[in-house]
Amino acid sequence: MGLTVLLVDDSLFMRNMLRGILEGEGYEIVAEAVDGMDAVRKYREFRPDVTTMDIVMPVKNGIEALREIRILDAKACVVMCSAVGQESLVNAAHEAGACDFIIKPFNPERVREVIKRVAGA
Amino acid sequence: MDMSPYRDLFISESREHLRAVSELIVKVEQEAGSRKDMDALFRAAHSLKGMAASMGYGEIAELSHRIEDLMDRVRKEELVFDAGIADLLLEGADLLEVMITDVANEVQAVRDIGDLVQRLVAYRPATGTAGTADGGDVAGGAPSDRQSPADLLHGEPDRHGDASQTVRVRTEVLDHLINITGELITNKHRLMTVGKELASQPLDEATVELSRLLRDLHTEVLLVRLIPFSTIADRFPRVVRDLAKKVGKEVVFEVDGKGIELDRGILEGLSDPLTHILRNAVDHGLELPDERRACGKPLHGRIRLAARREKDQVVVVVEDDGRGMDPALLIASAIEKRLVSPEAGRLMSAREAFMLTCIPGFSTAREVTDVSGRGVGMDAVRSTIQTLGGNLTIESELGKGSRFILRLPLTIAIINVLLVRLARVALAIPITSVQRTVELRRDLIYSRGKQKVFDFDGEALPLLSLNRILGLPHSHAGELLPLFVSELKGRRVGLVVDEFIGQQEIFVKPLGRPLASMKGLGGGAVLGNGEVVFILDVANVL
Repeated sequence: MGLTVLLVDDSLFMRNMLRGILEGEGYEIVAEAVDGMDAVRKYREFRPDVTTMDIVMPVKNGIEALREIRILDAKACVVMCSAVGQESLVNAAHEAGACDFIIKPFNPERVREVIKRVAGA
Repeated sequence: MDMSPYRDLFISESREHLRAVSELIVKVEQEAGSRKDMDALFRAAHSLKGMAASMGYGEIAELSHRIEDLMDRVRKEELVFDAGIADLLLEGADLLEVMITDVANEVQAVRDIGDLVQRLVAYRPATGTAGTADGGDVAGGAPSDRQSPADLLHGEPDRHGDASQTVRVRTEVLDHLINITGELITNKHRLMTVGKELASQPLDEATVELSRLLRDLHTEVLLVRLIPFSTIADRFPRVVRDLAKKVGKEVVFEVDGKGIELDRGILEGLSDPLTHILRNAVDHGLELPDERRACGKPLHGRIRLAARREKDQVVVVVEDDGRGMDPALLIASAIEKRLVSPEAGRLMSAREAFMLTCIPGFSTAREVTDVSGRGVGMDAVRSTIQTLGGNLTIESELGKGSRFILRLPLTIAIINVLLVRLARVALAIPITSVQRTVELRRDLIYSRGKQKVFDFDGEALPLLSLNRILGLPHSHAGELLPLFVSELKGRRVGLVVDEFIGQQEIFVKPLGRPLASMKGLGGGAVLGNGEVVFILDVANVL
């Protein structure tokens, strides 16, 4: 209970939606980040249990951010959020150490299932 | 999943993206496109697609998707960004705008995107200079079977009816506006000073009129920056509910004054301090149901968050009906932690004791819970509020509950100050830090231990010389000592100055390095007579 989550997405709309889904499950959203650089900074500050990471973002993309976070914390649990048709990015993210993937548009069921699984691991 | 709560956000965020798309298309076309701009174009279309798909707006998602794909081909250098692409993309952006307007107006319109999608998918650059003469050129298309976005608007001639009432403005433009207004006000004071010296009636009349107009301008500029308290208040019921559940408490949470409007800068800064105060109220303020029952209180604790306007301030109050705080316990704890001397502790009033909770290093929580253990403490809450130009007071009654009162200015950049003179230096004290000004007869000063004190509102307040604190020579010569009452580290004190100059509105300018890092300085300002003054950050002066 009370697992902490960091939401990373440049879209407020997407962050709000994820927040809606995850808060409904009792997770605590400790912070939100709007790009990869912000994500690394917030990760360092909050050390969340789970991070959801959009891939396509300005300044620094999700995969670069994922790499940096894994350097900070080799055990970091980062779930990538990618759109349909970004298979090449998914592979890159996998190599960079992503825990799991959620496909956009978000299916609340799938989001709950993935977060629950990675949080339990 | 019910997506209706996200609809407004979808509309506003999509429009932001679309505006960026239009600007970027034009920019890329004109400047032969930097990689950065093309990436931004791609991202905007990508974001739009994701949002529309989430909302279940299939056609908007589909059209955005095709635009994204076309941009991806450009990014991968399969295509060169030419005029044909720019036209297609702009056409797409226009059609998307129409479709989003449909969503906004809750119009169930059928927009035929098929043709445009076709052309986006099949786009080939025109070959040779004669380009369009090429019969097979998809980009040319047959004008007759293509609907332009304008055609699609038939039957809705008043599409701009609503839209023209509002415009979206970048926040930095608003910041510039307020800066310019601030400079104008400084200049007005300068003119008034000159006017006094010249004793010219026509000039005086003109400056009086100018003052009036500037006041109106200032008000209007402020209005533009105001957003309702609900913007942040709406998230708090959730915060309170979740935490209450976690710590096993029952809470009725009320929010009043959601419509009260505040400067967006201040409102954004308030979010963290309010979250902290509310969390404290749930975690430490309210008792567990059993304890409440034992005290004969209703099982449900009450927490109320209220905002209201008071003249040119906004007052935000968080109150609970919990266990309250015991001043004696707070003082004892502060003495034990060596935050105050036993002697100072004895002199403390109840309201001063409550403010002890805002001193760094002070916490009476018996155990560090995962709620209070994280994030900011009350000291950070207080300093954030002061940075915003406001102040915090705490009231509490043992067994009945506590009340946290935040007083905030409506705007950040232009503030009211008390101008004082110390030796030959003028200094500005934010009015929010001044509880009262007093001209004290010397015979009303007496000693308690080594400390000179005077009676104020039934309390003996220590007298301190601001000259001495700031290392300036002092010359308190007259029969009456000018002083102002303010709060230092949770204690009310009388700060003696040499002379009151008066009250004035000033335009705050941030200090550069190295001055910015000096404790006790909260900014600078230029007075009407050209004199530069520092703004004193009273809470941090010692």
